Amino acid sequence: MIAGIERRGRSRARSGKRREKIWNVTCFILLVLLAVIVMFPIYWIFRSSLMSNAELYAYPPAFTPPAWRWENYSATLQSFDYWHFLGNTMKVLVPSVIGAVITATMGGYAFARLRFRGKKFLFTLCVGSMLLPSMVTLVPLFVMWAKIGLVNTYWPLILPHFCGGGAFNIFLIRQFIKTVPRELDEAATIDGCGYFRILVFIIVPAIKSAMIVVGLLKFIEMWNDLLQQVTYITRRDRYTLTLGLNIFKGSFNDDWSSIMCATCLSFIPGIVFYLIGQRYFVEGIVMTGMKN
Amino acid sequence: MEKVIKRKSKYNKAESRAAYICMLPSVIGLVCITYLPMIASFALSLFSWNGLGNMKFIGFDNYVKLFTNDSKFYGSLLSTLKYAGLSVLGCMIFSLIVAMLLNRKIPARGFFRGVFYLPYVLPAMAVYLGWKWLFDYNYGFLNYVITMAGGNRIKFLDDSLMVTPSLALIAVWLSGNLIVIFLAGLQNVPRVYHEAAEVDGANGFHRLIHITIPCMTPIIFYNLLMSLVTNLQVITPALSLTKGGPGTGSYYMCYMLYNKAFNSHQYGYGSAIAVILFILIAIFTAILFSTSNGWIFYEGDDKE
Repeated sequence: MIAGIERRGRSRARSGKRREKIWNVTCFILLVLLAVIVMFPIYWIFRSSLMSNAELYAYPPAFTPPAWRWENYSATLQSFDYWHFLGNTMKVLVPSVIGAVITATMGGYAFARLRFRGKKFLFTLCVGSMLLPSMVTLVPLFVMWAKIGLVNTYWPLILPHFCGGGAFNIFLIRQFIKTVPRELDEAATIDGCGYFRILVFIIVPAIKSAMIVVGLLKFIEMWNDLLQQVTYITRRDRYTLTLGLNIFKGSFNDDWSSIMCATCLSFIPGIVFYLIGQRYFVEGIVMTGMKN
Repeated sequence: MEKVIKRKSKYNKAESRAAYICMLPSVIGLVCITYLPMIASFALSLFSWNGLGNMKFIGFDNYVKLFTNDSKFYGSLLSTLKYAGLSVLGCMIFSLIVAMLLNRKIPARGFFRGVFYLPYVLPAMAVYLGWKWLFDYNYGFLNYVITMAGGNRIKFLDDSLMVTPSLALIAVWLSGNLIVIFLAGLQNVPRVYHEAAEVDGANGFHRLIHITIPCMTPIIFYNLLMSLVTNLQVITPALSLTKGGPGTGSYYMCYMLYNKAFNSHQYGYGSAIAVILFILIAIFTAILFSTSNGWIFYEGDDKE
């Protein structure tokens, strides 16, 4: 009797296990399918960049390029000023990222560690600024930069990032500094360190990874931006990659082969940065999600 | 006397000075690039100004014109709401499903996570260009699939009814960051709950409804709020691809704002649109927050 129940129990457990296994396999297949669907547009763009226009307009479309025409790229590079545009993009990106990381760290440090009058008020202002739509400031900011005479320079794109790098990043850094044991600060104070030396020699080494995350998030944000660049840069020699691509598409209307080449070329820096910083990218997004 | 000493001990002078120096850039940012321009936007919306000549105070005329005498405004409002609704819904469902699939015991999880995140790191301009080619009426891949399946070709971006759903589809494709946030949330759901439920005989579906989803509500709320605020401010696809068309199909409010301010040099009118957008987002945020007590489950919260 008891043995029977046991046997039945075991067989039920076994069938449950089998069902779980089938379920696991189904889920995995679904995941692979979704991954293929997500990757497919990128593959299709890449495959289109290696084909001639005649091949692109053939029906039915070829799933792999009939001939791998790498020469498309050298041809596109003749008319698409890639390196110049990429250089301009870097001129905006690098200072902005550095500025955001430094000033966000300073702001985060003050919020996490220092006591000062008006802290609560500033904190509220910071939280509030996260919920305010940035589009609302577009026109007055443009008017301001135009009045100063800095339109068509990179300053309107760079300088805002030297102002704390956004409330979000300040809070990110603040959360991290809070995990650094206060005893370290106190020990340093006893040794005669001032507040800035504590920041530089104790806090910064301890939260290096958070700073990298801020830098990478800033990088994506600016990499994805079109609006600010379109608004402030109208001189062709100052065009960034995004603006260059925009104008390139206009002048090569139906030359999809070239347009896809240019598109792939602008994918490359993002993908390279992503592969280098993948661990931090993912960690960073995770941290931002965990914030509340 | 005692009070004075107390206050002195609360704010150390050197500490305060260090703090103010550290906060200086952030304060300049908050004042000069957030709050003052915000106020300026409200003020500017009461003027008629082309950016060069004199500003003329016209009271609420810009708003009156917007609501009663602008043929494109309601179309713009509708397109914006449609885009935000579709892309928020699409992104949330898609990324929650992918995150749950990724949260299982699977080989090469890091690789898959990377795959779903990759679109997010590509420059927006290039992404939209690439999708334009996929959406092409004659030679695009999607229309090839549709005709193979026996359907009629769709004018994805050249049909005023299809353009917003098509652009929302791209938004879903770009939602890798939501996936990663959801995944992090799923990994924080205490295992004990699942184990306890399993002992009680709950199957996978029950556990999803009664454990996973309730534990995820704070993160669902965060993602919902953030993606709603971002998607109501959609402008990049209109700016890069559709130029607001066809009709008002993708004439999103931010694009209308941009267009009025920078193409027609109606700074006052543009600012009025900005203010309306601000109010719209404030209303949605308020609604979300006011309902949040009803459906968000905080761990350690006793009340039902």
